[in-house]
Amino acid sequence: MAFILRRNLPWRRRSGAPSHQTTHLSVIAPDFSGRTVISFQHVWKRYPNGTDALRDINLSVPEGDFVFLVGPSGAGKSSLVRLLIREERPTKGKIFVNGVELGRMKRRKLPHFRRKVGLVFQDFKLLPQMTVHENVAFALRVLGESRQVIDRRVARALDTVSLHGKLGKYPRELSGGEQQRVAIARALVHAPRLMIADEPTGNLDPATAWEIMQLFLKINADGATVVMATHNREIVDLLRRRVVVIEDGQVVRDDRAGRYHEALQASALRA
Amino acid sequence: MRLFRHLLFALNSAWQSFWRNAGVSVAAVISITLILILAGVNLLLGHALAGVLDSYKTRVSVISISVSDQTPLATVYDFKQQLEADPRVAGVTFVTKDEELQRFSADPRNRDLIANIEGNPVPAKLEVHVKNLSDVDAINNLGRTWRGADRTDPTDYQGDFIARMVKLSAWLTLAGYALMAILVVVSVVIVMNTIRTAVYHRRQEIEVMKLVGATEWFVRGPFVIEGVMTGVLAASLALGLLLGAYRPFVERFRADLFFIPLSYDPRFVSTLGQDLFLGGALLGAMGSYIGVRRFVRI
Repeated sequence: MAFILRRNLPWRRRSGAPSHQTTHLSVIAPDFSGRTVISFQHVWKRYPNGTDALRDINLSVPEGDFVFLVGPSGAGKSSLVRLLIREERPTKGKIFVNGVELGRMKRRKLPHFRRKVGLVFQDFKLLPQMTVHENVAFALRVLGESRQVIDRRVARALDTVSLHGKLGKYPRELSGGEQQRVAIARALVHAPRLMIADEPTGNLDPATAWEIMQLFLKINADGATVVMATHNREIVDLLRRRVVVIEDGQVVRDDRAGRYHEALQASALRA
Repeated sequence: MRLFRHLLFALNSAWQSFWRNAGVSVAAVISITLILILAGVNLLLGHALAGVLDSYKTRVSVISISVSDQTPLATVYDFKQQLEADPRVAGVTFVTKDEELQRFSADPRNRDLIANIEGNPVPAKLEVHVKNLSDVDAINNLGRTWRGADRTDPTDYQGDFIARMVKLSAWLTLAGYALMAILVVVSVVIVMNTIRTAVYHRRQEIEVMKLVGATEWFVRGPFVIEGVMTGVLAASLALGLLLGAYRPFVERFRADLFFIPLSYDPRFVSTLGQDLFLGGALLGAMGSYIGVRRFVRI
């Protein structure tokens, strides 16, 4: 059902999406000639307790897209994000990111893959014993970069998130919004072409959440593809970007310029 | 340069982590120190016993074949050559009747006996030095079946004693290895648990490292270094304590523990130091390596 819906979407026809979505599981890797960044092909995720977190997910994200993943709690959004950053492997099916199949990626290649993806989470994941500068620099220190390179790139990233004046502050001295900006800056130091965010505004008040969204829009406008799992209805409605609804582990709707409640209502009506 | 920065980061992280979990780290160092002291005592006792066993072995690995007075000298030399060609034999010495009598007379216990006998009643001998204790039996059989041997008392072989020596030596070696194996397992488990605590304390940092693309060994390295640090610190303490106690202990208990041949051997101290440091570092590395493989996954 999901890919029938997607196949008929006018925007997808315009963007010349690869034809693999309508074909069967046994297809060879799709054509990634600089167009499709993410492709899920009949992906299933079953946990050891027997729960199917994801069921036959088919999804394709072209380069430069801005995709909201919405759906009720426990629908499978976070599972999808975890698969996307190869924290877990799919039980069945294939996931391609930039043409590389994640399920087949060797463990030693994983760090190199993660360096190309910017990750942002609801709980910021900042290290409390480090200052703003150190937190952002940490992403480069683990690569063994020189101090000059670190300083230059950290300054640039902190400029992007407008936090240059708070270099020496510790996370506990910052507001939630500022902490999320630091996390975004850390994700940006590798200049990723793909940003994945799991509920990045979940802990923030509406005004701050909006500021954070502006940042993501800016990052997207600069050319990065953004995939964001969110519950934030206002933001989804205001931005009118692509909305993928996940319910009960399945993609039940995929709208090019969707609204949160419309998407959920439509899927509820269908049910 | 990049490698150097990685190493610096790992050393720095290991040092910080060691002191951040000071309680657990110190407990681990003390436990490993005690284990290494036990290992050291085991080595010292083993060394002392090995010395005594070696001297016994040297003594019992020489057997004398008594030569009959009727055996022509040419036959004796033929048999001597045959024995020397045997790969199990280290050397053969021919002791003539006169030489043997001189030796016999030199022993004060035989003085009365010599005074009462005439002529030379002792036989000439072939003293065979056997390479391995376990081959003495075979060489003894060779001697006994040699037609030139003295029929009444062909060899001085004490089969029972040698068999017991070989057995005792094997058991002591086995016991030493078993004790060492137990000590290794216990210390590896202790280091593993220390590393588990350290991993738990640094779980946030590890999570962030994974997210920003740190390699597996970048994440694991500091823990392995921390394990090695624990082992080396414990080895220093154990060596200090053992060296401090070695000589006074030997001097104090040498008389009381007469059944254990205690002796102070200054040459063995450097061997002991090497073994303890190498052992400590290896135990630390092994424990932490197993620990990070279990608890740190990318």
